[in-house]
Amino acid sequence: MSSSTRAWPAAASALNPAAVLRRRFRAWWQARLPRTDTLLLTQRNVYILPTRAGLMFGLTLMVLLVASINYQLNLGYVLTFLLAGSGIVSMHLTHNTLRGLTLHLRPPVAVFAGTPALLDVTLTSGGRARFGIGMRVESAGHAAPAWTDVPEGGQASTQVSFVPGTRGRHEVPALQVETRFPLGLFRAWAVWRPAAQVLVYPRLEQPAAPLPPAHPMPGGPTARRSTEGGEVEGIRAYRRGDPMKLVVWKKAARNLEAGGELVSRDTSASVQQQLWLDWQLCAGLAPEDRLSRLATWVLAAERAGVEHGLRLPGVEIAPAHGDVQRRHCLESLALWH
Amino acid sequence: MALSTPGTRADLAPQGLAARWRHLPREARDTLFLLAVIAWTVLPHLAHLPVWCGLLTAGVLLWRARLAVRNGPLPSRWWLVAVLAVAAALTLWSFKTVLGKEPGVTLVAVLMALKTLELRARRDAFVVFFLGFFLVLTNFLFSQTLLVAAAMLVSVWGLLTALVLAHMPVGQPSLRQAGGLALRTALLGAPVMVLLFMLFPRIGPLWGVPQDAGGRTGLSSTMRMGTMAEIALDDAIAMRVKFIDPAPPPDSLYFRGPVLSRFDGTTWGLGYTAYAPPRSEIRPASPALRYEVTLEPLRLPVLPLLEATVALTPAEGWPARRSEDLVWATDKPVTERLRLTATAHTRYAHGPTRRDISLREAVYLPPGYNPRTLEWARQLGEHPRLANADAPALAAAVLQHIRSGGYTYTLSPGVYGEANPRDSIDEFWLDRREGFCEHYAAAFVVIMRALGVPARVITGYQGADPLPVDGYYVVRQSSAHAWAEYWVEGRGWVRADPTAAVAPDRISRSTRLTPAPGFVAGAIANVNPELLASLRRAWEALDNRWNQWVLNYSRGQQLDLLKSMGYQSPSWQDVALLLISLLSALALAGAAWAWWDRHRQDPWQRQAREWRLQLRRLGLQAQVHESPAALAAQVEARYGAAGQALAAQLRLLQSQRYGRTPLERPSSPWLRALRGEVRALRRAHGRATR
Repeated sequence: MSSSTRAWPAAASALNPAAVLRRRFRAWWQARLPRTDTLLLTQRNVYILPTRAGLMFGLTLMVLLVASINYQLNLGYVLTFLLAGSGIVSMHLTHNTLRGLTLHLRPPVAVFAGTPALLDVTLTSGGRARFGIGMRVESAGHAAPAWTDVPEGGQASTQVSFVPGTRGRHEVPALQVETRFPLGLFRAWAVWRPAAQVLVYPRLEQPAAPLPPAHPMPGGPTARRSTEGGEVEGIRAYRRGDPMKLVVWKKAARNLEAGGELVSRDTSASVQQQLWLDWQLCAGLAPEDRLSRLATWVLAAERAGVEHGLRLPGVEIAPAHGDVQRRHCLESLALWH
Repeated sequence: MALSTPGTRADLAPQGLAARWRHLPREARDTLFLLAVIAWTVLPHLAHLPVWCGLLTAGVLLWRARLAVRNGPLPSRWWLVAVLAVAAALTLWSFKTVLGKEPGVTLVAVLMALKTLELRARRDAFVVFFLGFFLVLTNFLFSQTLLVAAAMLVSVWGLLTALVLAHMPVGQPSLRQAGGLALRTALLGAPVMVLLFMLFPRIGPLWGVPQDAGGRTGLSSTMRMGTMAEIALDDAIAMRVKFIDPAPPPDSLYFRGPVLSRFDGTTWGLGYTAYAPPRSEIRPASPALRYEVTLEPLRLPVLPLLEATVALTPAEGWPARRSEDLVWATDKPVTERLRLTATAHTRYAHGPTRRDISLREAVYLPPGYNPRTLEWARQLGEHPRLANADAPALAAAVLQHIRSGGYTYTLSPGVYGEANPRDSIDEFWLDRREGFCEHYAAAFVVIMRALGVPARVITGYQGADPLPVDGYYVVRQSSAHAWAEYWVEGRGWVRADPTAAVAPDRISRSTRLTPAPGFVAGAIANVNPELLASLRRAWEALDNRWNQWVLNYSRGQQLDLLKSMGYQSPSWQDVALLLISLLSALALAGAAWAWWDRHRQDPWQRQAREWRLQLRRLGLQAQVHESPAALAAQVEARYGAAGQALAAQLRLLQSQRYGRTPLERPSSPWLRALRGEVRALRRAHGRATR
């Protein structure tokens, strides 16, 4: 929860006046861009400027030209002008690499706060093949872009990620698509504000607190709680005091790898257990931390296959289990206020 | 296992390099390619750089290649600094300086190789590329032949390919693909190159050209014993001459450079007649000979033209006038290639017919120099046969002495006057008796002056390559020559070439050593001598075109080009203006194209905009994301049976665009039909609501 883990939005060099000014300008500039999930890059929204290498190339050309003049080398002129011509053409080729490209953002999948949200972008080329197209989150500063080539008349997809810091419905950050192909003397780029929103669930609690005890479903069959000798019918989350031999090691190993927890055999599956994940159970924590714990519990309950309900101030979701229930609970947690 | 391992290795070996190359990781392959391009660029330099430089560069490149193949770590920066220090020290040791052309090129080559050991960031790679372009240019300092140009074109292509490769970060693009893209870039840039090459104003050097700028100075306005031995070995071209009238015999091809009448005992220099306006007329004795000459920049304020050139079409920017010496002089040293048309009379007389003050300088001998030669001349003059002889008879006697006196012609006579600079001519004339044109001319002039006959040394070029190429006679720096003139009462100045007396071949035909034919040429000559000869002729013709059109393209040709375009009297400002306006026009055309391209759309999209507009007239939302089929359903829901036709039309579009056999382009009849349906529906609907 420390602020250093909140990589997004980047808050580096907050004190530098030039950086502040640049950020302001960028914010103002981006606010003018209409949000859209499909963007056709045209003359109007592709920018191009020489790179530092391009300026160095210009300097090299000047040196070559002066040398040709002073030594009266006609082949020196040929070389200089050949390179100058190629440089000018490369400017058009760089711009062409982006122009006419269609970007499309697939609807992003919901993620937990603090974990990277993947943005799946499809690039469609009308005609020719395009090379060396980089995509990154615009505010990510100098992070290396994800590079991709687009085949002739075809499509390619590339993924960029950003790490949302807080729960809720977030707008996808502005993306930047850029290229330096073919000679790296110019950099063409476009800024794209997708319209899509990404739903961010509360941050998962690390380490996870154990699930609260379940209660037999009222009106269900009598509980026959036994740890030994019962029919093995399912699995549930590990609880403190479970004997080692009840742990399902294979599944536990997979779970642990995926950041989950140990699971034990549930020998009393005949009992319909019901678990209420209640705001009140997390008393003593800050509200956000409570939501985190509840979200973690939702996952744990889902893994254990226990029917679970959720109670938040003003929200009550009846016990059930399955993907729909899970999503319903997490969405409520994400959007609760 | 132990036995099978050598076996597999032996099996793998024949697959060889091709397979290994294919399985190299991308980074290693790109690095090896760049190293190969660098090696290729440095290769032509090996001929004129010190041996250690070649070895060091090759060693560093091989070291880097090994690191690339083995994926080893790059050496620390201290290594590079150490090697660079060694290279600088060796350069200093080889050239005694680190400034100048050759030490500079040596250092650039080593620096380039060393930089490959420091390819850490993108910026480093760019430094290598740009140093590479510079290294390409340095090759032209030494040679601008067609062969070198072709080799360097390959280098530039290689460097551009490496640059393109560096900007294709995905996967493992093949060299062929990157090479194709680089070639495409260069070819698209070629029109700009041609335009700039033709019209970029050719201006003189921006500042003082380094003294070693090509080592081209074949002539100079002073002469000391020994200075000409160097240029006699320089095979560079001094000028090309094309005769409009029938070509004169080779022994009359004297191209007159600085005339040296002032003698201080050791050094010959320009006399005051070099600065004097012409007082005496040229008296031609042969018909006028028109010719065209392309002069290389000699960096002398003199145009070495055929003797005796009487008229000249001046070159733009280089006004020339004839001096009393019969030399065509310019205001400042000529630093560009000039093409001139001139008229000459190869047989002529000039100079004062009566002894006057202008001859005073031509008889002056500083006292105390070369006493034994003066004594020898006095004895010759007192010879009874020559007691009352005129100047031609005296000159003939001296030339006869050269022929019979045991003199030899050699290009490496050693240094004269080492023991005592005051009697260097004594040493040559009476003791060692070997030398080349300059020695003979100087001795001849001193003896004539000792005999009281005004005489002077003329420097210039004599002769040309025996066979003209494409009609052009090539005069090389190795044809630089010195001869003499003496004055005859009633006739004026008369040429005497003492070198012709000792080495007649040197004058009557230009014998230049031809190298032994190479292996391939030898083989071709054995099979078909005719083929070899015609191949050589074709090559020389090509080479000459190259020289005329590319290497000799200078301000004169630029202005000619403008004249042929209709300019009355173009100046270089006109050239610059024309270039700027053409480039602006190109840029505008580019902008116009981009504007047009912006409005160019996918035809399907254009059609979609149109039919959505039609549907919106019906009051449907017709959102961009809604497919034709979805809209068809909306139409049906809204209009029921009346909308059937329109819905069918929309479904037809769906199959046209996305069906199993989609159309290549949108069909315009379909759009017309749709418009008809919409109109019909609106009419019907409108009537119904009314």
